[in-house]
Amino acid sequence: MDGVHDLGGREGFGPIAGKADDKVIHAEWEIRDFGIKQSSAAGQAWTIDWFRHCRELADPVDYLTRPYYDQWLTTLAAQLVDEGYLTLDEIKRGALAFTPRPGRPPQTPEAARASVKDPRSFVVNVNAPPRFALGQTVRCRLDGGSGHTRLPGYVRGRAGAIHAHHGGHVLADASARGEKRGEHLYTVSFASADLWPEAKGSLDRVFVDLWESYLEPA
Amino acid sequence: MASFDSKTISHIHHELHSLLPSEPALRTRALESLLAEKKLIDPATVDAWIEMYRDEIGPKRGAAVVARAWVDPAFKARLLADATQAIGEFGFAGHATGHLQAVENTADVHNLVVCTLCSCYPFSILGLSPSWYKSNEYRARAVRDPRGVLAEFGVELDEGTQVRVWDSTSERRYLVLPERPKGVKEWSEAALAKLVTRNSMIGTERDLSPARAKA
Repeated sequence: MDGVHDLGGREGFGPIAGKADDKVIHAEWEIRDFGIKQSSAAGQAWTIDWFRHCRELADPVDYLTRPYYDQWLTTLAAQLVDEGYLTLDEIKRGALAFTPRPGRPPQTPEAARASVKDPRSFVVNVNAPPRFALGQTVRCRLDGGSGHTRLPGYVRGRAGAIHAHHGGHVLADASARGEKRGEHLYTVSFASADLWPEAKGSLDRVFVDLWESYLEPA
Repeated sequence: MASFDSKTISHIHHELHSLLPSEPALRTRALESLLAEKKLIDPATVDAWIEMYRDEIGPKRGAAVVARAWVDPAFKARLLADATQAIGEFGFAGHATGHLQAVENTADVHNLVVCTLCSCYPFSILGLSPSWYKSNEYRARAVRDPRGVLAEFGVELDEGTQVRVWDSTSERRYLVLPERPKGVKEWSEAALAKLVTRNSMIGTERDLSPARAKA
């Protein structure tokens, strides 16, 4: 979707704040939001891509101004309301009206400890051979579609070279709709000079992981 | 059942905006107690996550991996070939590192990692990400003005050094392998690990020589 989350290359943003700040947590509520989101119950068909899409759908002003883990928490709340596990009325009154039976129960402490040691794979077998070869020039589609996609706006319509092929990976766009489908995943290398007018003559490059359906032969 | 419908979620977000308290700390309190009452979270598991990321999992892990790569060429080759496998030798593979790639800084190349679309980060090897990594400013500027961003972090590169920016758009994650500084030839692996900073493994720091801190 063409949302404010698609920040790469947007201009007008100022200096980066907090560069010397070594602390990753500044208030107890931040890390509690992290822990709540990581361990919450969820619907049977939940995927990380659906979660990312739901975060993108927050009010644009909230997206750009609210703290990061706070956005995780409100996105989680939106998903639980969507699943029917929690109602807006319960939130309004701050009291429960019923106990839901979620498709996936909340995580146990043991499962949490096991999950951080599990390097989960997103590889999916794809029968079709890869459409593009290493070094081949490809061009990104112009249209990202209005659902979830991992094709950033700043590479749309731009040409780059296939830098690496990673085999079949869960396609984020489909996964955000609850469908598990694999597609060939590539790292595409773009010359900065081909992306940004002010980078003319620069040696610099930007590497972006892109699925096959995002690309066309150039 | 999830609606998988963008408009429905957008509508719920707008409702939540007016229903939930205006302070983030109060939103946490309100939702945490309601979710616990409704048995949608187990408070003991929330505490387990906090404990793991407060006490156990952080950039010291990445630093140990980098130091090993500096002293052991065979390990470095394994790290560059398959970083998930290589960090597995330390027991560090896990949360968000199922598809980890190490990218190596050299005299002519400097690597910088960003996630422009959200804030993807290799949790199990670097811990929670710093606030600046998740900021709108960093996400917007790292791909377009990497040298400007690097200069703000005190990294000045000459024009002949290529900057490679890695945008984490898939489930693959990136770890920068910084250059081993000069003048630390006799140093032990443990002492070398102490030189490696979190920012150097994201790419916003380059020179890890012990003298730099005094400069």
